[in-house]
Amino acid sequence: MKKFIMKYLMLNCKDATFLMSKRDEGKLSMIDRMRLSLHISICHLCRKFEKQITEIGLGTKNVHSDFQLPVDVKSKLKKVLDEMGNSLVENF
Amino acid sequence: MDNHINKAEPNKWVERYSELMYQYVLPRVNDNDIAQELIQETFLSALKAINGYRGIASEKNWLFSILKNKIIDYYRKKALQRGIVTMPDLQEYDNEWFDTGGQWVEEKAPKNWQVPENIIERKEIQRIINWCKDHLKNLQQQVFTLRYMEELDSDEICKVLSITPSNYWVLIHRARLQMRSCVEKKMV
Repeated sequence: MKKFIMKYLMLNCKDATFLMSKRDEGKLSMIDRMRLSLHISICHLCRKFEKQITEIGLGTKNVHSDFQLPVDVKSKLKKVLDEMGNSLVENF
Repeated sequence: MDNHINKAEPNKWVERYSELMYQYVLPRVNDNDIAQELIQETFLSALKAINGYRGIASEKNWLFSILKNKIIDYYRKKALQRGIVTMPDLQEYDNEWFDTGGQWVEEKAPKNWQVPENIIERKEIQRIINWCKDHLKNLQQQVFTLRYMEELDSDEICKVLSITPSNYWVLIHRARLQMRSCVEKKMV
């Protein structure tokens, strides 16, 4: 029976991981949603994949560089802003 | 904390925000010169639009929303220069990850992770994520960045990058597989 389910109703891992991104945007048909849930419920590897990808997604959102903007770049920016500001005032 | 009275003060922008903007934009465009260029463009656009600033959003949020648009414009321009995307055969790409029956190849299958419990580890994970993202292939990287850093949806990303939805779903699938596996390797 399990073999029958595997063969006819279940997605394989490749399709399941593919469909997860679509599901996250609500772009799966009802039947695919069911097939995906069924797969995830019995496949611990894809369950892990899903959890870890969520983790990575959260981490990615918060990625910031530790690099500092060089001082000379800051002064250049200031200069450009000042010039631009002055020319805007003059045009009033 | 943001001031309650939101008044634009352009003479203080560089001092207040340029560093934050730099640290935000750099991992998103991956290029020092472009990062600096986008910051300058943001300040100049903001200055031109300053009469339209009503102080409803904080000055910082207002500038960052302009910066975000600049980043997306940058990806849009890049896509226009690149021309039409031709994708390798869709069936073949994931042989690396899955066997012919579509099951995980053993050495590529997800392993157990320890969830980071404190800030330092979380910071470390972000560093790893950023490294892995920098090592994604070109288009995968763009798709991943727009999806997970800029948080656009698939329709928006297809428009920005001039790719078809079917290309998008394949690219994001590959990027996710690649990222997960890379982060796992680097964490050990």
